[in-house]
Amino acid sequence: MMLARVADSLYWLGRYIERAEHLSRLSSVMLNATLDQTDGTQAVWIAMAAVGEPGDGAGVGSFEAAEALVLDRQDPNSVVSSLARARENARQVRDQITTETWERLNLLYLKVTDARAGKEFSDGSANFLHDVIADLHLFKGAADTTMSHGESWRFMMLGIYMERAQLVSRLLEVCFAESPARGQVDDHVALVSVLRMACALEPYLRVYTAEIEPRHILEFLVFDEDFPRSIRFATAQIEQHLSAMARSASERAGPERLAGRLKARLQFADVDELEAVGAGPLLTTVVNECARIHEAIYETFVAYPLETRLPA
Amino acid sequence: MEKSVAAKTQTLDDAPTLPMTEAAYLPGIAYDEMFTPDGEVRKHYDPLHGRMSTLGAEELAGRQRTLERSFLLQGITFTVYGAENTTERIIPTDLFPRIIPAAEWSKIEAGLTQRLQALNLFLADIYGDQQILMDGVVPRELVLGAPSYRREMQHLYVPHKAYANVCGSDLIRQQNGEFAVLEDNLRVPSGVSYMLANRDAAKRTFPGTYRAAGVRPVERYPDLLLSTLKSMAADWRGDPQVVVLTPGVYNSAYYEHAYLARLMGVPLVEGRDLVVHENMVYMRTTTGLRRIDVIYRRVDDDFIDPLTFRRDSSLGAAGLFNAYRAGNVVICNAPGTGVADDKAVYAYVPDIIRYYLGQEAILPNIETFLCREPRQLQHVLGNLDKYVVKAVGASGGYGMLVGPHASQKERDDFAEAIKADPENYIAQPTIQLSTAPCLVDGRIEPRHVDLRPFILSGEKTIVTPGALTRVALKRGSLVVNSSQGGGSKDTWVLAEENGLHNGNGHGNGSARP
Repeated sequence: MMLARVADSLYWLGRYIERAEHLSRLSSVMLNATLDQTDGTQAVWIAMAAVGEPGDGAGVGSFEAAEALVLDRQDPNSVVSSLARARENARQVRDQITTETWERLNLLYLKVTDARAGKEFSDGSANFLHDVIADLHLFKGAADTTMSHGESWRFMMLGIYMERAQLVSRLLEVCFAESPARGQVDDHVALVSVLRMACALEPYLRVYTAEIEPRHILEFLVFDEDFPRSIRFATAQIEQHLSAMARSASERAGPERLAGRLKARLQFADVDELEAVGAGPLLTTVVNECARIHEAIYETFVAYPLETRLPA
Repeated sequence: MEKSVAAKTQTLDDAPTLPMTEAAYLPGIAYDEMFTPDGEVRKHYDPLHGRMSTLGAEELAGRQRTLERSFLLQGITFTVYGAENTTERIIPTDLFPRIIPAAEWSKIEAGLTQRLQALNLFLADIYGDQQILMDGVVPRELVLGAPSYRREMQHLYVPHKAYANVCGSDLIRQQNGEFAVLEDNLRVPSGVSYMLANRDAAKRTFPGTYRAAGVRPVERYPDLLLSTLKSMAADWRGDPQVVVLTPGVYNSAYYEHAYLARLMGVPLVEGRDLVVHENMVYMRTTTGLRRIDVIYRRVDDDFIDPLTFRRDSSLGAAGLFNAYRAGNVVICNAPGTGVADDKAVYAYVPDIIRYYLGQEAILPNIETFLCREPRQLQHVLGNLDKYVVKAVGASGGYGMLVGPHASQKERDDFAEAIKADPENYIAQPTIQLSTAPCLVDGRIEPRHVDLRPFILSGEKTIVTPGALTRVALKRGSLVVNSSQGGGSKDTWVLAEENGLHNGNGHGNGSARP
């Protein structure tokens, strides 16, 4: 049993944490790609398109673009804004999360909002972003090892995986769905960058060796069963957390049914099918289904009509 | 005993082992917690004084930084909203504990228990048969006319007659060394989380000294609070559901609300989480509605129910008060307790104690003049430069004139305000709050302090053996409110007279293992 408002905050805490991590990684990879002699513009374009700001960074330099993506407090989709919202949600439910977990997030928030943050970023953006990502991993680790894996924790994990499924889908859409403006990404540097943006390079290499192919990347990031950032893995987690909550709630399965359907869809599809019809439709389905699951979570757990729950 | 620091040392040669000092520690005319007027260290301060003397200025500053950082990390902060960006500030906190020997504490404890018992009886009476008003002990219009008197509470059953379940009285130590009550806080007193956080910090800052001193623990406060709240629930409710009601995350005491909820293991709810249906109070959970039995509310009376009190409030729940009247939920503290900590009623508390308990007050009041009485008004107006004048309804150090420190113009303006509405003002002599050593800008200096102990009352009345010591951080300032630049420090209540039997002057090597 937990307050509906609290469930809502924990869910969004998870979403913002995941978003902050993803954005940090996009910025980091983008900056790194432009360091090399080879052409890094495709990586910049991918990153900007994945955050919904298409353009090749020609207007502004990639450094300025990355800096804005990380530190712009006016932009609601920057890393610092995501962290501020994550912390605000954590503060709302301060009694529900452990001190260890709270301190990780609070410390990180204080760091990125500090007056010196801008200078630290320009002095060493790679280190800065590396530390932010590492701190977010610490946060997740602290949550995993100190919080009870009950309802509170599940709502937070639900937020994390919902956000992840959508972010990875969006990234793949940008790279591999046919778009009239640009062809598919095929440049080696860009493909490696995509794997880095999904934090997938090393696990990918262990499966497919150093053959970096769009087909393999799609297979890995959509269908891999064990990789925690594949869409299939994320949807399986979503389904698992929702069915555990539904058991304790003894509610009709609303979001749980939707999640189960999406999971099955990914379980029984394969990469040949994906290649035959193009990656676009499946990825769009994932994004849309996630949005429906999100609504169903709200209707079931958070913003349910009171009339249905009043004692007779 | 070694006289290592003469309190009134004026020269560098005599000033000493404490790293404090280019100018030595110079207590003024007020009672000093650490030094006697002759410059001797009071015995119960011996171990701490010894430790302070051996630590260098660097070391002390380092410990102060560690302390502040731990507060920041835990989020024990308030938010300052600026034009450019918002920043987090901690409530200033001082690393040296304030120490109270066992004998002094037992008197405080007895006095507070007596006082709260009498005030609860007073509340039960004025919301019941009003005997005390009939007998003319307290003027009828003073009570019934007070804005904090809630007619809605009349003839309403309150278990154990415990109206004020949580009380945080403000005590001060007068020049003669005696503690007196400055104010009773019976509405929604705050600060207890600072007491607990300060203790946590002090244990890390001076572990050896803490162990050696034999300090009574305060850590049981949350479970004592929970059992007090549970004792207010109806007997037939097997395992009563307790919640903490907060105005929300933007309230300056939000940290404390979340802290208490977390340590009691009960939900922290906001008004929007509550639903009242057929005089029952429920909270919206992920699995539907769940009934609530006891609400520890940290929302002022005015805001708890828009149907009964302020209609524009969204901090409470519509229908909450009716559910309370129907006996289906308990609100703690009860609405309307504020009338008993009214600054004008305060003057009558010794009479109230005598009336209900047949005893003399153990802890005295500060001499108080009621401007509503013409003769007292004349006296006050003629001596404005000697008195502190307070508006009856205000709190937090607002609406107040400190006569001796005010300009003639300020006094004249205030005199007009008093004459316009004499019933709204009381006057008290300026009291020299006692001083205690604090680390200020790398030096140890005396600063004025008060004492806010916390008293719980339900089935039983319990005084927590500890308190929040508030500090006026500005030199010479007597205002300790955190809204006016005050800070806080830990308060050690000693289990017995330790430090007496150590033999060596500093008591650094402890008698205890």
